Amino acid sequence: MHSILLQDSSWATFIGRFHPAIVHCPIGFLLIAALLEVGRRWGKMAVSENVVVFILLWSAISATFACAAGYLLSLSGGYDADLLDNHMWKGIGVAVFAWVAWLVKSDKLQKAMPAGKRIFLPAILIATVLTLSAGHDGGSLTHGAGYLTQYTPEPFRSLAGLPPVKAEPTEIKPIADVQQAVVYADIVQPILQTKCTQCHSASKSKGDLRMDQLALLAKGGENGPAFIAGKSAESDMIKRCLLPENDDDHMPPKGKPQLTTDQIALLSWWIDQGAPADKKVSQLTVSEAVKPALASLTKGGNAGSDQAKEPGVLSLKVPKADERVIEDLRKAGLIVNTLSQDQNLLEISAVNLPGFTDKQMELLKPVAQQITWLKLGGTAITDAAFAQIAKFPNLSKLHVEHTTITDKGIAQLKPLPYLGYINVVDTKVGDAGLKAVAGMKALRSIYVWQSAVTDSAVSQVGRQYPDLLVMNGFNEATAAEFVKAGDTSDVKELKNK
Amino acid sequence: MENLRKELQHTALLHQTRRHFLQSVGFGLGALGLGTMLDSCGPSAAADHAGGEIAKSRIPQFAPKAKRVIYIHMAGAPSQLELFDYKPELVKYHGKDCPAEFLEGKKFAFIQGVPKMLGPQGHFAQYGQSGAWMSDYVPYLQTVADEITFLKAMHTDQFNHAPAQLLMHTGSPRLGRPSLGAWSVYGLGSENQNLPGFIVLASGGQQPDAGKSVFGSGFLPSVYQGVQCRTGGDPVLYVSDPNGMNRDMRKQTIEAINEINKQTYEDVKDPEILTRISQYEMAFRMQMSVPEVMDVSKEPQFILDMYGVKPGKGTFAMNCLLARKLVENDVRFVQLFDWGWDGHGTSKDHNVEGGLRQKCRESDQPVAALIKDLKMRGLLEETLVIWGAEFGRTPMQENRNGLVMPFMGRDHHLDAFTMWMAGGGVKQGFSHGETDELGYYGTKGRTHVHDLQATILHLMGFDHEKFTYPFQGRNFRLTDTEGKVVKEVIA
Repeated sequence: MHSILLQDSSWATFIGRFHPAIVHCPIGFLLIAALLEVGRRWGKMAVSENVVVFILLWSAISATFACAAGYLLSLSGGYDADLLDNHMWKGIGVAVFAWVAWLVKSDKLQKAMPAGKRIFLPAILIATVLTLSAGHDGGSLTHGAGYLTQYTPEPFRSLAGLPPVKAEPTEIKPIADVQQAVVYADIVQPILQTKCTQCHSASKSKGDLRMDQLALLAKGGENGPAFIAGKSAESDMIKRCLLPENDDDHMPPKGKPQLTTDQIALLSWWIDQGAPADKKVSQLTVSEAVKPALASLTKGGNAGSDQAKEPGVLSLKVPKADERVIEDLRKAGLIVNTLSQDQNLLEISAVNLPGFTDKQMELLKPVAQQITWLKLGGTAITDAAFAQIAKFPNLSKLHVEHTTITDKGIAQLKPLPYLGYINVVDTKVGDAGLKAVAGMKALRSIYVWQSAVTDSAVSQVGRQYPDLLVMNGFNEATAAEFVKAGDTSDVKELKNK
Repeated sequence: MENLRKELQHTALLHQTRRHFLQSVGFGLGALGLGTMLDSCGPSAAADHAGGEIAKSRIPQFAPKAKRVIYIHMAGAPSQLELFDYKPELVKYHGKDCPAEFLEGKKFAFIQGVPKMLGPQGHFAQYGQSGAWMSDYVPYLQTVADEITFLKAMHTDQFNHAPAQLLMHTGSPRLGRPSLGAWSVYGLGSENQNLPGFIVLASGGQQPDAGKSVFGSGFLPSVYQGVQCRTGGDPVLYVSDPNGMNRDMRKQTIEAINEINKQTYEDVKDPEILTRISQYEMAFRMQMSVPEVMDVSKEPQFILDMYGVKPGKGTFAMNCLLARKLVENDVRFVQLFDWGWDGHGTSKDHNVEGGLRQKCRESDQPVAALIKDLKMRGLLEETLVIWGAEFGRTPMQENRNGLVMPFMGRDHHLDAFTMWMAGGGVKQGFSHGETDELGYYGTKGRTHVHDLQATILHLMGFDHEKFTYPFQGRNFRLTDTEGKVVKEVIA
């Protein structure tokens, strides 16, 4: 692994990596020189020959530098040898013909070699053609062969004799019957294809490693085999995925699409099972750990994306709240927090405003879209506040415990589509209020301890909605029962030997 | 008292002299240049966050599942083999010599030579729908089995109490790093302006071995450090007014002191002065709020009974009840320490039989009551309860100095111990990780201290690799360069 670090810090690679940047200068300059020459000859525009000479000079200089940097870059290895060879000679050709074109075009040489002028046109023509061709080879080296025309639409596709469009390489197709799937071909290879082979295949094999074929994967690259069958923990390809993303040896490199936890689990499992080439899932031992990852394959996409389990409201994209409004709310004594960096939903709490009243609810109007967690517990609000609360469409958690609200208030929450948590501990809410909200689509839990809700209503609603947690707490009797739980502990003797 | 106030005002005036003017003109220019050069050294970056800024939260990477934390640390380290990690095989090996493979290349705090294996001392059974293994040491915890996620293959790097406690709470076995609670308040801010965001309560007769550094703020501004409250008598010493001092007088006094401090800050720009100013203001507000929140006399009797609280006694049970009251009042992080779990077998109190049973008798009921109490108030969903210690205990019986101990005891053990979490976005009724048949080494789901810390931060909404603080020219994080979120335990 150290070899990577050494290469990275050496001058050759440092300069080499400027090749893709420098190379655009000769491409642009030469095309401009050629275009100006065409325009000049047509007489459509007045271009002095000096301008063309000047541009040609810089074309030749920058082409020379691009060649040098390109050579240094090629030393870092990992490119298809034939394609690289073509690219190099065409690139050198560009530089040579650019110099030739400049020499014959410039005044001094014209005197020494009067016939030279005749080779100017062929020279600039060859330089331009070579530029286009070398540029295309360069693109193929970087992005992989066929990148340019991969998405050619019909009918041009058939006319050009290209094969039909392949499946989107960044997407993994769902597998209908996971048990019958061939582990390598249907599960492992698609993961490698979407995340690894862009840099580790025939046209570009960084670190001399190719991951597009099982035999080559087993053979490995300059750091040894990519995996050790049966030992995922000691396999380089797994170890690298598990390194912190900032680590220089982490794969895929920082900024590239990363493997999901499930995908790493699947690859590890395949290696642990001996990395078979043609076994089906049903022929291998399915461990507990890999079960969820396998199950997620039926959904396709980026198998088991990590956000799959977020409740609906957190994936909502709402517009950003006005900074001035938030500032006003904070000045009024409310706590306003943005829920997370990738969305604009807000959490608002009146914990420092025990005197918060129904009237002050008006303050929240401008952020009605954004409020998702609202904490008004222990404040002076009454049922009147619910007229406003019911207009917060994305509300998902509501704390109104230790207030004087009643059934009339809480019943107004009914239309809220995302409300999953209601806390009415120590309020005047009763059975009617509980029953009014119990059927709400998103409601997961409602806390009714020390409210006017009766035990029979709690059990009735509990039976009717088995997935809803209706939490009533302890009273004297149940607390006394709990305290008894420890009575037996002292009696037992410790004779386990 | 009037004299005191006058004296303070006088001092304030004395503070501003012509010399000050000349000084600040001279220093000012130099400081301007120096300040930009030293920018990366810490204090100036820190200044942004000190003072009133403590209430401000940094926007987390993910929506937090755990908004508050109650971290129960059993200092000294209880034996996982008596409480949660059921090893029937160990019964057969009881009294036999420890296999050589367990001893090769290993270091222990006290074990020497070849120790004997020690069978489990508790009676185990499975509890709850989840079938969690627990012993008769913890009969109350059995009743909340389905709220808990166990981490059964925890491991650490340190075999002495103080460094192991530091590693557990600050991510480093050496002094100087901020604790988990300090990071939490730094990240999510402090909500209740009348209470500190990070409160520490200790019981068991002694402070944690690593001292106040386990709840310190390290290189974070010191506003983020844990504030330790006493559980008997005045919760915070010197916060109540002495006789003859009324609240108005106190207010004027603090205003005068803060005015002097502000001027000093203008002179020297030490951000710790801002901390001092905000702490004076906080202390003034705490005079009202702390006695109220720490007063359990208004709690109904059956709640006191559930926890097993005897009013006026600063016990662990009392601390559990206070922890609930504090999170109910939106305190971000409550840290409980209970000392006396170091069961070497050296004395009647420190062993894994009667001594450990006694510690469990004092703590099992309040911990279970805390979970139930949080649950019925709707607080458990957003409050992460963490229970654990700095390490575990060996499957071998301790043989300190080659002698047979007077009681059944076990030595410190790094390679396998159990912790558990409840609420705050972890799975209900789940167990992660397994140890080998003798409970010596984790075989599945091994979780390092840094992995646990990464997971806790993740539950609070922070990506532990991105949640950093610049100090001395580099970005520091709680998990240093390690840690991997244990996704399996997240609900």
